[in-house]
Amino acid sequence: MKKTFIVLALVSSILATIFAVLPISNLAIIPALAALIFGLVAFYLSKKTGDVKKIIQFIFLLTIVALSLTIFKAVFTTTEVADTKTLDTKETQLKEEAIEELENIDIDVEEFEDIDIAQ
Amino acid sequence: MRFTFILLALFSLTVNAQNTAIGTNEKLVYTASYNMSGILTDIAQVTMETSPVKTSKATLLRLKCTAATYSKWDNFFRIRDLYESYVNPKTLTPYLYNRDINEGSYYKAMKYTFSHKTKTVKSIQTKRNNNIENKTISIGNSTKDIVSTLYSIRSFNFENMSKGDRQSLTIIFDRKETKAQVTYLGKETINTAIGKKECYKLAIGSNEAILQGNNSNLLWLTADVNKIIVYGKFKIPVGNGELKIKSVSGLIN
Repeated sequence: MKKTFIVLALVSSILATIFAVLPISNLAIIPALAALIFGLVAFYLSKKTGDVKKIIQFIFLLTIVALSLTIFKAVFTTTEVADTKTLDTKETQLKEEAIEELENIDIDVEEFEDIDIAQ
Repeated sequence: MRFTFILLALFSLTVNAQNTAIGTNEKLVYTASYNMSGILTDIAQVTMETSPVKTSKATLLRLKCTAATYSKWDNFFRIRDLYESYVNPKTLTPYLYNRDINEGSYYKAMKYTFSHKTKTVKSIQTKRNNNIENKTISIGNSTKDIVSTLYSIRSFNFENMSKGDRQSLTIIFDRKETKAQVTYLGKETINTAIGKKECYKLAIGSNEAILQGNNSNLLWLTADVNKIIVYGKFKIPVGNGELKIKSVSGLIN
């Protein structure tokens, strides 16, 4: 029983650490909470038998690191789009090509009567 | 392809309604998020812009949609997608459509040239390594590309619709005509980044397998003359996605 909780807590804390490092750091909260719960159960069971394993301390440490990193990223990371140079270049290129092509497309001019477009 | 899922989910009605809602210098900015177990992760910024384009024959309206992943995602999975359509500003009938998608190592470009007299679309598909494919597709009277159909949803008079009213749609996507349905679900007031808004709630259904479930793809459009999309909820094969309005500028009304 104790071993099962230790394994579950270890797996959860590793998962929390992986999530915390990735851009999906928000999701680390779920495995981190699971690791804390499993870790506490494992700690309680170990204390009962009087044999608290070092691995449980390591699980808590790993989980705290993962949670700290998640909180840090949530507070200090700004969601912004960087490097749109390729998109901007493509946009300009496509627009130039389109204008050229639209000159050769059969447009029903009658449909456009009475249309006033503000430039 | 992920942005495509969102766009496909935003199918609109293909009735030739008159446009009174879409301005010529409008800019709508959205945040696309992925929802897992109630925890939202912002993935990309989606921008929808309009601008006038002058040719020697007429002035068209350029409808442009772009999607770009936030910088924190760029090293893992970089998306730089561009969709644009050149349409009649009054009827939103498309004449030219471009799609240029860069998603990780995946690249695809598609160009449609509409000929409404012959009811055909000439397509040019370009993939990585300059692999070009030309194809002519026959289309129906009301077939539109995904961008113009997405905008044309704003031309409909929802006040005349009652709860449960359903409209069929025809969209040309990936050189195939796709049938979809929009169901009006009534009005709902929601909180958005641009304030508390009374909205028209719509459910989007498609024959395509990429949009899962019944009434699990929903759209909220402001219940005013502008009818801008302020919120979207989509179920896709890999989970749930959300599209939330971030900023608005250049509205006509």
